[in-house]
Amino acid sequence: MSIASAIARRAGRRAISSLPALFGVVVFTFLLMRVLPGDPAIFFASGPNAGQAEIQMIREQMGLDKPIPQQLLLYLRDIGTGNLGRSMTTGQTVMADLVNRLPASLELTFTALLLALSLALPLGILAALKPNSLVDHGVRFLCSLGVCVPTFVSGLLLIYAFYYILGIAPDPTGRIDVFASQPPRLTGFLLIDSALAGDWDAWYSAASQLVLPASTMALFVLAPLARMTRASMLAVLTSDFVRTGEALGLSRKRVVLVYALRNALLPVLTIMGIVFSTMLGANVLVEKVFSWPGVASYALDALLSSDYAPVQGFVLLMATIFVMVNLTIDVLYGLADPRITIE
Amino acid sequence: MKISRRDVLAGSATIATASSLSWSASAQTRAETLRYVTGAAVNTLDPTMPGATREAFGVSVNVYDRLVSFGRKKRGDNWVFDIDNIRGEIAERVVTSADGMTFTFHLRKNAKFHDGTPVTAEDVKWSLDRAVSAKSLAAAQVGTGSWTKPEQFKIIDQHTVEAKVDKPDRLALPNLCTLYAVIFNSALVKKNATAADPWGQEWTKNNTAGSGAYTVENFKAGEQVILRRNDAWVGGVDGKPAPFRRIICQTIPEAATRASLIEKGDADLSIDLQPSDIDTLVQRGRVKAISTPQFNAFTMIAFNTKMAPFDNKKVRQAIAAALPYDSIFKAALFERGAKLYGGTWSGTPTDASFPQPMPYKQDVAKAKALLAEAGYPNGFETFFAFNLGAAAFAEPIAALVKEALAAINIKVDIQKLPDAQISTMVTERKLPFFVETSIAWLPSTDYFFRTFLYGPQRWNYSGWNDSRINEIAEKARFETDKAKYDAACKEMIAIMAEETPIVMLWQPNQDAVMPKNIDGYTYGYHRQVDFRDVKRS
Repeated sequence: MSIASAIARRAGRRAISSLPALFGVVVFTFLLMRVLPGDPAIFFASGPNAGQAEIQMIREQMGLDKPIPQQLLLYLRDIGTGNLGRSMTTGQTVMADLVNRLPASLELTFTALLLALSLALPLGILAALKPNSLVDHGVRFLCSLGVCVPTFVSGLLLIYAFYYILGIAPDPTGRIDVFASQPPRLTGFLLIDSALAGDWDAWYSAASQLVLPASTMALFVLAPLARMTRASMLAVLTSDFVRTGEALGLSRKRVVLVYALRNALLPVLTIMGIVFSTMLGANVLVEKVFSWPGVASYALDALLSSDYAPVQGFVLLMATIFVMVNLTIDVLYGLADPRITIE
Repeated sequence: MKISRRDVLAGSATIATASSLSWSASAQTRAETLRYVTGAAVNTLDPTMPGATREAFGVSVNVYDRLVSFGRKKRGDNWVFDIDNIRGEIAERVVTSADGMTFTFHLRKNAKFHDGTPVTAEDVKWSLDRAVSAKSLAAAQVGTGSWTKPEQFKIIDQHTVEAKVDKPDRLALPNLCTLYAVIFNSALVKKNATAADPWGQEWTKNNTAGSGAYTVENFKAGEQVILRRNDAWVGGVDGKPAPFRRIICQTIPEAATRASLIEKGDADLSIDLQPSDIDTLVQRGRVKAISTPQFNAFTMIAFNTKMAPFDNKKVRQAIAAALPYDSIFKAALFERGAKLYGGTWSGTPTDASFPQPMPYKQDVAKAKALLAEAGYPNGFETFFAFNLGAAAFAEPIAALVKEALAAINIKVDIQKLPDAQISTMVTERKLPFFVETSIAWLPSTDYFFRTFLYGPQRWNYSGWNDSRINEIAEKARFETDKAKYDAACKEMIAIMAEETPIVMLWQPNQDAVMPKNIDGYTYGYHRQVDFRDVKRS
């Protein structure tokens, strides 16, 4: 049996076994939204002179006039056909909204993760090489700072410093300069789309808009990544094969970067998956501060106005992404260490 | 070839000229573009959709025309809309019959929709039919002007439409100025309508079919709308196209970011900054603020007259006498508004306008006496609610109310509730008392009373039901004699001052902040920006 088919089988099995969890998430969110106080029909009938008739009309439009079990069955049927309902706050279908906005969130999250990794790995390694030194304390300080300062504070501070005072950052609103021309939408990722279109002005504009929000996010998740790198590096550095390597007279650099780091990366990989999933949902404040049209701020707006469909759709999306990230990590694990199996 | 120093100099001069030319070209487009930044999002292009936001109203005003429109007047130094001065928009002129019941609209013969087709009487008739028949928010609004059924609108000829009401309603014509009475390109909408959706409401959410000053170039629900000038627009006062070539209407949730953008000159206009920031912004000298008291809005504390002990008039009066109005005005609003308390009249007001300063002022001894008369000499316990979204000004109000009422032995708990929850609890009359800001599109005394002070609808915040008010308000709307109308209004205001179902606090300012070279901003009934008035000097 080839490795590819083994991976496919493993992935398939994992995907099927996660279906009950997704189903549970759907039902749970559905019920949770309905026990929240606040009647969305009343909220949306906010026009002048909206009376009982208007409220009833909206209730029917949202399907809230039916008993809850029936609403749930209808909702499940809709999900089965790929229909996540319609958002009252944006007037669009939830599916269209999510498809529009997910690339924005993903682009931000990926960039932030890359940025965080490129900082966290060297910092973690440095800290592990000289535990309890000044460098170690410095890294610990930076990590604590990053994790303690809420993202909306660091985001606003960055805007204040780099946009307002220094004037070197572009105005912190959205994914691309409003006066710039947008590249044609292919993937929804502006960096990729503009590169494909060969529009380097747009690429530069999109990239420079990304710097501040991505830095804000990266600062926030620096701690788990750097700390995990440090811990697993420390563990690996004291292990037998490193000692053997050093005894054999290999250079310090080679031992650390090739033998130790490769082995220390496994737990970092796990934590990366978790960090990625949480970032996607947790960057709601960053999205708000930087007017980033992502899914998290979308879900928050919907939640505040008791707009059921988008919140349910968002939770389902997040659950699916979480399942997919875990699946990928499992597969990567299996590749890295054939002893790990889920048969 | 030999390159001399002179050639190099000449070459670089050419390059410099070329680059400065392209720079001035882009600066030109920037000068012709207005970038408007706002906190909330445009969620639909059809203003009649349930849940349409104020920002959506603002866009629709500029994209669609109505038959008629409010003119504007100066109030102090600022331009405001004028409900008494109605001008034609798609209609060249409107002729009102002597009995005030028939309106004849003569349409502009050169008015065209964005797709180039002429605006005809059929379009007008279809659009007004839609306003009164389709399931949308329009019917309830135009109903306040006695527009209820399609039979009221009649096509006389290609360019003339007649509209009739059964009784001379004071608000019949003003209602046709509001953004719910928009005129659609009926052929275009019908093409996109379905059997299940005969009025094409699904389609108009994301598409426009208007004849207004701007067309929609790009619409991203929840993010931004880009408008392009319609050069063929004839609905303006002078029949000329709007000043700005392009409008970018962008949602930026963070108020601090909006303020920085305006100050840095990257954005041109915002009307919803934090009141606390505006003075500092203006003092730093790079921007100006046009502050207009929202004379058709009011902030109030509403008592639930259906719930004990607030069903007792004396309790309400006691609380009205216990409140520290001036401190509240300072702490919550930084005095950026017009007071609606401290009126000097008693008994009957001297003027029939509304809202006007009501005769409430702080008098703790009187409050204690009233509470004892009401049967609560030792006070009682209750809770005070406000909307989380309004926390910036409601939180200080709540704290001061709590402190002031503790002085007369009423123990108040404070509850912050999210939007949807507070509107539900208000409608179900489950809150004892709370703070709210509301707005009437048509600032006319009887309309205020009809909308906010009687009836079962949500906007009757206090659930007040006074038989005399019901009777007068229903009659006043059809009163054509000004003296009789004023007398009726004064009586209603007097009853309200006595019964105290709500305590009026103030009319908040609308602070429009912009660079110094932006001019012409007009305060509109919809509290949005009418881009057709704004220009860069």
